[in-house]
Amino acid sequence: MAEPLFYDLSIHLKSEDPVVLKKLSNLAQHLGYSGIAINSVDNSSKLVRSMEIDTINLLSSVELKISNASKLHGQIGKYLNKVDVITVVGGNESINRAAVENPNVDVLTRLATPKDNGFNHVLAKEAADHNVAISFDLGDIIHLRGGRRVHSLMNFRKNLLLVRKYDVPFILTSNAVSIFDMRAPREMIALAALFGMTREEAISGLSETPGAIALKKNHSPGYIMEGVLELDSSCVSDDLRGEHV
Amino acid sequence: MKVLPPTLRPKKRYLAFELIAESPISRDELIREIFSAASHLLGDVGASECAIRLLAFEESNGVVRCESDRTENTRAVLASITSIKGKRVLFHVLGISGTVLGATKKYLEGADVFSPQNSHI
Repeated sequence: MAEPLFYDLSIHLKSEDPVVLKKLSNLAQHLGYSGIAINSVDNSSKLVRSMEIDTINLLSSVELKISNASKLHGQIGKYLNKVDVITVVGGNESINRAAVENPNVDVLTRLATPKDNGFNHVLAKEAADHNVAISFDLGDIIHLRGGRRVHSLMNFRKNLLLVRKYDVPFILTSNAVSIFDMRAPREMIALAALFGMTREEAISGLSETPGAIALKKNHSPGYIMEGVLELDSSCVSDDLRGEHV
Repeated sequence: MKVLPPTLRPKKRYLAFELIAESPISRDELIREIFSAASHLLGDVGASECAIRLLAFEESNGVVRCESDRTENTRAVLASITSIKGKRVLFHVLGISGTVLGATKKYLEGADVFSPQNSHI
């Protein structure tokens, strides 16, 4: 089997200095990633453009922090054609609900509410139907200590149960704000094992699912819409001739 | 004292790692941080089962020993270390081997170490 291509879809940058980007992509490459998504906080005028540095695929991404679920639709419309990955920060029942019901949302992250894990069987079904990925933010396990880490591990366990049951796409992210917050894919797999995720699941959460999200917007030139393909006219007539004879 | 027969000896694994740090880290500081992180993450019981021990550590490369069936936990412990004495660090496990020699030869010799230079994000 070919080596999977690993992605981390949640890296935050305070500056968009090319030197910093270069260093970040160097480290990502060194750790074994093939793509990272740079999150711009919403309302910032400049978005990091998607580009390739060496072999690293830098994706542009936006993290929408909304105060009210009714604002989600408008915010998504604003960024839909500008970025590769649209991430919504949850944290409240109505926002989580609105995010999983919107097929334009790629990732829902930090969905735990102060009371519980913020995710349930209803949301899980919706997320699976609309292909919205749930993010397991391993930065919590790395950075938090004591009771708060215990809570986030408990939430991850609950989310994992639902994700397995309803076949919801999920990704593992580091939520890094500096290069020292990044972790190599294998370390991410080990951290995910702490809340019961198997190796295979963790690998798919680091490579297949984020890879599919990364490819979603990078359409080939002839792309029309989901499920529609323009065939070469000569090849169509050939095929048809073959069928009719 | 008689040496324990090979069949009774616990099986070990050796994790070769590199430590990407803001500024140089001393061995003592590193050991203290590893044990504290292990107790925090796995509890004292879990940490004792891992039997983590820092063997070689020079500049930014080193080898950590642990129980053979606890390599994933040990990896997680190392990954959960964020800073040592206020200096931000990043552990990167380069590979796991069954012998110190194997870990050193295969993963540490000639390995290019990532240096964040003097500036950081």
